[in-house]
Amino acid sequence: MAQTGPLRGWFEFGFRGFAEPPCGGARRVEPEPGGIRVVRPAWSYTGLVTGRGCLVLRGATGAALPGRCRDLLPSESHVLLLRGAALEAWARGAGLVWRRRLRPGEAAGPPALPRAPGGYVVLRPPFLRPLPPGLRARKLVLGHEHAALLGPAGAVYTWGSGRHGQLGHGALEAASEPRLVEALHGVPMRDVAAGGWHSISVSEAGDLYVWGWNESGQLALPSLALAEKRLPATAAGAQLEGGAGEEQRQIAGAAELMSASAEAAQRAAADFISIQAFPALLDLPEGAEVSKVSCGSRHTAAVTRTGVLYTWGWGKCPSDASGYTMLQAWSHEST
Amino acid sequence: MSQPSSPGGLATSSSVAANQDPSENAVWEDIRVLLPNTKEELKLDFSEKVEQSVISLLQQARALLYGAEGFCSGNTRETCFQVSEIIIDYSWEKLNIGTWRDVDKDWRRVYSYGCLFKVLCMCSKQDAIADIIQVCDMGLLMGATILDNILVKIINVLQRHLMCGKRSAEEDTESCRKKVRNDPPAIPVIKSEEAVPHLHCPSLEHFRENYMIPEKPVILEGIADHWSCMKKWSLDYLHQIAGCRTVPVEVGSQYTDEEWSQRLMTVSDFIDQYIVNKNGTGYLAQHQLFEQIPELKQDICIPDYCSLGEGEEDDITINAWFGPEGTISPLHQDPQQNFLVQVRN
Repeated sequence: MAQTGPLRGWFEFGFRGFAEPPCGGARRVEPEPGGIRVVRPAWSYTGLVTGRGCLVLRGATGAALPGRCRDLLPSESHVLLLRGAALEAWARGAGLVWRRRLRPGEAAGPPALPRAPGGYVVLRPPFLRPLPPGLRARKLVLGHEHAALLGPAGAVYTWGSGRHGQLGHGALEAASEPRLVEALHGVPMRDVAAGGWHSISVSEAGDLYVWGWNESGQLALPSLALAEKRLPATAAGAQLEGGAGEEQRQIAGAAELMSASAEAAQRAAADFISIQAFPALLDLPEGAEVSKVSCGSRHTAAVTRTGVLYTWGWGKCPSDASGYTMLQAWSHEST
Repeated sequence: MSQPSSPGGLATSSSVAANQDPSENAVWEDIRVLLPNTKEELKLDFSEKVEQSVISLLQQARALLYGAEGFCSGNTRETCFQVSEIIIDYSWEKLNIGTWRDVDKDWRRVYSYGCLFKVLCMCSKQDAIADIIQVCDMGLLMGATILDNILVKIINVLQRHLMCGKRSAEEDTESCRKKVRNDPPAIPVIKSEEAVPHLHCPSLEHFRENYMIPEKPVILEGIADHWSCMKKWSLDYLHQIAGCRTVPVEVGSQYTDEEWSQRLMTVSDFIDQYIVNKNGTGYLAQHQLFEQIPELKQDICIPDYCSLGEGEEDDITINAWFGPEGTISPLHQDPQQNFLVQVRN
């Protein structure tokens, strides 16, 4: 009797319109000689570092890049490379635009960008930014306009723009320097992730904390936009399109539905959360414990200790305003 | 020399494809003539701030629109629709990074192009006209002018194909009854020396010397008496002219409240929810309504006194405020000298 072993490898899902015909679902990433050690998706392409230290780009091609690196941080405008002897920033259309030599040994260690020797890197000048002396980062993650850092003892620090609550300090003010997220004090964190305008942390016990913008349900809190999407498209007031009587009846019915839903939406409006300015504890179904978390620009993904992957937030697929889209377990090995 | 029409419904090899049977899709036929004749004339020029990956998507959408396969073939249109949504989603993110002032105008133009391609797909697919107008409005509200304000032209065409529902006479009397029920607010007593003076049609010179230069407030009477809005504007008229248009509304009694938010809704919904029925507090505030809906601009005039200002006439911005009685604006100072004209129904 044959037994299937655990499925290992990298899978990608989402829009792939840049390299091949667009389609949905998950697809196995083609392997590379020496295996794939690092996967860094941007929007129109993905950067891979193979086991042999080669840099491979899949998707939309830009200007030529060096063939080897240890780690990379890609965006649509730039690619930042950690190489043996230097940090380099390459503009997608223009070639090398910045370089910082590294001392011997500085580039060693597992891939950790945007953490970098001397501080951290971002994908616009100035590329290398310092961290306050004495603040060591176990992990550092970047959003569109903010950054989050996991300290050695499990404290979380955030800085940057706070307009969407992504700093978790309660108010919406910006912070120019890393500032401790006081609300998480006393709960050591194991992992931290940042989306475009939201932040997530995972405690040592496997609990998930979410804060920031919830406009697409990326915090798995009730989202007005998702609730409104469920209204039928033609329910937009009493409008006739010069058609037959049947159309009129249909549209009148839709108008009733709209006003009923609008009232319901009004009543429930106070329950929808657009901005969560303080960290909120999020319970996964069946009290599952989270081991790792990761974010896209407007969505979130979490893997539980038993290897189940949950995703929620922005995606062109139906989901409840406060529900989860559960995908299959892809691997029994935690990545 | 006429070209034979192929089964795909090609008109010429380079212009936007005609539909197979013109009587089938009158909306598409009227919209397509608004477009440039050739692909090359639909310019996609942007600064280097706009990344190449986005530009290639825009070029792809344009190629599908003018392509040899014919835009009305299901596959071409479906692909173009998907591409346009991706352009909209990506540029939307750029519009939400930093403050509105910081947003590069080219990203707003990209957003408008995304809306344009999506609208064209929806017209070809014969989607509900109100939905198509909503996408046009998103391009106007969040985007920036493209192709000689083509989105406004498209809305004009679409509104001709759409008859907004007329309110019945019964509903009219109902809304009248609702208005009468409200008590007028108490008028505070003001000492005469502190009251803002009323002047009837002062000369430009008198206004400038005695009020504009010393920056003193004044109420001018008789200026707007002959504006069309005084006769034409009513809730019915607004339903008719602008009912299906999407506008930004401030919900909540004060912007300092926790419950305060901004929402997009159609003018008809706004009138129904916040003017007639008063389900909570809603205010259409500080919106360039007359840029979005030029038909309303024809009902108002720019007071002559505005010519006394320093800038050009093109620098004059006109904002609209539309709310139920009892709407309160807290005391404040504006960064620019301005006139407020109030039309009451």
